[in-house]
This record gives sequence, C-alpha cells and structure tokens, in this order.
Amino acid sequence: MHRIWSLAKRNGKEILREPVSLAFLIGLPVVMEILFYYMFHTLTPQFEMRYLAPGLIGFANAFLALFLAILISMDRESAFITRIYTTPVRAYEFILGYFLVAIPLGLCQSAVILLVGGLLESSFFSWSLLLVLPGSLLSIWMFSAVGILFGSVFNAKAVGGISSILITGQSVLSGMWFPLEGLPEGFLTVMGILPFKNISLLLQSIATPASSFEDLWRPFLIVAAYTVACAALSCVLFIRNSKAK
Amino acid sequence: MNAIEIKGLTKRYKDTVAVDGVSLDIRENELFGLLGVNGAGKTTLIKMLACLLAPDGGEGTVMGLSIAKDAPRIKALIGYSTQETAVAKNLSVRENLAFYGSLYGLGREEVAKRTEALIARFSLEKVADKRVGKLSGGYQRKVSIALAIISEPKILFLDEPTLGLDVLARRELWRIIRDIQKNTTVILTTHYLEEAEALSDRVAIMVEGRLLDVDTPRGLIAKTGADSFEDAFIKTVGGGKDA
Repeated sequence: MHRIWSLAKRNGKEILREPVSLAFLIGLPVVMEILFYYMFHTLTPQFEMRYLAPGLIGFANAFLALFLAILISMDRESAFITRIYTTPVRAYEFILGYFLVAIPLGLCQSAVILLVGGLLESSFFSWSLLLVLPGSLLSIWMFSAVGILFGSVFNAKAVGGISSILITGQSVLSGMWFPLEGLPEGFLTVMGILPFKNISLLLQSIATPASSFEDLWRPFLIVAAYTVACAALSCVLFIRNSKAK
Repeated sequence: MNAIEIKGLTKRYKDTVAVDGVSLDIRENELFGLLGVNGAGKTTLIKMLACLLAPDGGEGTVMGLSIAKDAPRIKALIGYSTQETAVAKNLSVRENLAFYGSLYGLGREEVAKRTEALIARFSLEKVADKRVGKLSGGYQRKVSIALAIISEPKILFLDEPTLGLDVLARRELWRIIRDIQKNTTVILTTHYLEEAEALSDRVAIMVEGRLLDVDTPRGLIAKTGADSFEDAFIKTVGGGKDA
C-alpha cells in the first residue's frame, strides 16, 4: 500500500504541475456551467442545474482520461516505467497508483461543479447532492480505466487526439446540450448502449431527490459494466505494453 | 565471490538473436565495462540481469539469486540507470529522491537522511528544489544515477550514463562513478572507449549478441598488439583486422 500511495502522489504532482491541467480539469467545466446556465436556463429546462451539473461532472471526468493517458504514454516513452520495474514495484501497484490519483481529482471536480451549481441556483442544493460524490466514483473509475488503456496503447502524440474523441463523445452523446425528443430511434438506441448518456442519467437521478430505483438501476448497470470491462482491458494492455522489450 | 554469474544466456526476438549464449562472471565491487557497437546486445544483456527481460536460454545469477526465479529479491539488491534519464520531470530533485526511496520500502526518516546525503554527494544543493525537467542534461544524468543508488544497491547497472554530455559533465560523472564503485559492483555500458578504459577494471566486447573477449583494458591492448585501447577494440571487433 505504501508504494501505491507513493506512485499515486507522484502521478498527482505530475498532472497538477502541468499548467493546463487545472484549467481543463476544473476551470473549463466551471466556466461552461456558469455560461450555459445564464444563457439558456430560462429558455429550456435542459439547462436547469439539476440536468446541467450532473452532465458537466461526466464531461469533466472525461478529462481525467486525457491527462492519465498523456502521463502514461510519456512514462512509457521516457522509459520511466521500465526504470520503475527495476525496483520492487509490481505491475498491479503501478496500475493502482494511476487509478488512485484519479479519485481525489475526480471528487474535487464533482464537488466544485455541485457547489457552483448550488450558488447559481440555490434550489439545487439538497441532501441528495452528497450522494452524487460517491455516485461519480463510477464515472471517475471508468474514465481512469479508459485513460490507462489509451496511455498503454497509443504514443504521446496520438493520445491527445484519441482522448479528444472520447471527450467529444461524452459531450455530444450524453444528451447534455440538446433535447433528445425527436431524435431518430437508431441514434437513441446507440446513445442508450454507450456509457456517455448513462453517466449523465445516473448522476442526474442521484442528484434528484424524487428519483426512483427504476431511474437508477439501468444506467448504473451499464456504466458499471463499461467500468469493469475497461478496467480489465486496461490492466491487460498496460502490463503487456509497459514491460521492457 | 562473484556478484554475477552467467552461463549461456540467450535472448531472441523473432528471427534476431539479441544475446547469443553469453557466459561471464563479474566479481564483487568490480567496475565492469560492456562494450560494443550499436545492436551488440549490451542493453538486452543488462535488462535480463535486472530482471526486466526473461531470457530464452541459459541461466544467470545476481548475488547468488536466479534471474529466472528470484526477481523480487534481486530487484531489492540492484540499482539501474537507463539510457534515457527516466526521471519524474515535474518533481524536484529532492522529491524524486524521496519518491524512489519510498519505492524500496524505506521509512520516511531514512529516506530523508539518504536524500540529503545524496544531494551533498552529487553536489546537487543548488538545484535540489528545482524540477528535474528544467535542469541541464548533465544535472539530469546526475539525478538519474543518484536515484539508482538511493536503495544502496549491491549492484549498479549504468546504461550509457554519459551519453550526450559535454566533457566537463562527463568527467564529473566519472568521479561519481569511481566513488560509487568503492563499495558497489558497477556494470557500465558505453560507446565511449576512453570512458571504458578510464573507469573499467575489466571490459567485455560484444558483437551481434556474442561475447568476443573479456579482459582488462591493458590486457586487450597487449593481446591484440595494438597501440591504443581504441585500436584494440577495433581489432577485436574486426576479428584481428584493422579497420
């Protein structure tokens, strides 16, 4: 556990000391939250805080994948990982070090977005928001797993572009920015199968006190399934691609 | 006692034999130079000894432990500085040393003590709190070697430690390497023949994965009848012919 903690601390410093990381991890989602709320919340319920803030948490968490992927691809290319493998560190400790650092970062994102949401729309505050923090762990872990997967497979030049596709996917396919009514059936089916909309639905359901178990279980199972699958795949690919050749 | 014993060690990549049946003994506290042109198999050989690569044939022991069976115990006894500096670039020198020390399970006080000792030993005081990524190549190499010895290893692998450094930085590292060798077995790969001659007790010359000869630098010069160590190397690699 001591080594995992050391690795996580190092990973956190590497990410947070890049000047752009805080701007993208927290600054951009908060700016979007303020702008979109003020511009649109009186025009359409889509941008009321109970929908906007949970959607933005998923969007913000997607940046975790980008920064983890960049860190891991650079660690691979700079032989940092090879070098650490000459110490008593085991592969599973390495992977947990990357997963672990994403938890405080992701929870900070969730807390700041919820807090700003409550300040903008005081009726948004409720006890159920406290459940959004643990609820967002699933989204944090899923995007961390995808980040580890991307970082294990792609080089540092490619990883930014690939992660951008993921972030765009979370933004567009989450149903956060436009009403879903009237969209073609096939498109809605694809959105229902992919994790993006389900992350938003899950967090929206947790944040809404009137939600029922029925609202929760389906998105929860879908996001959980993606999380488990991505985590398993990322572990296999990380171990395969990070060993010396 | 021998620090390292290798018998018929082999590594293959598809159709290429990177290390071809190498047999070799390295004594404790010896500074042993591995020489060869690009692709000779030097780095592959030390990666197998550092338990980073599994051999395809033969056997090897590090401080009496099998590289095939005792990897975790061997990793606690070795230090390794890669060709690339491979440091945490956004961490300061002090943070890098503390981080590496913690990976070996050292307590916080012990890590702090060793960190300060290494900063003094490597003359890193002025840059101790600067991020390593902002330092010159010479400083980064010094940090890289300091990281490799924070665990006080019995055996230190240095893979091209002075690659790309200017003459002053190189001489500074030579001083440090000689100092480390007083109580550590050092295995050094290098392309710089004057470096191998100046530092090594013995050298091994490899070509295309095979070990051609092992001797002291003077022994190689005498054996080949060459005027200099560089000529002796060229004659050995060229099968007795001058280039």
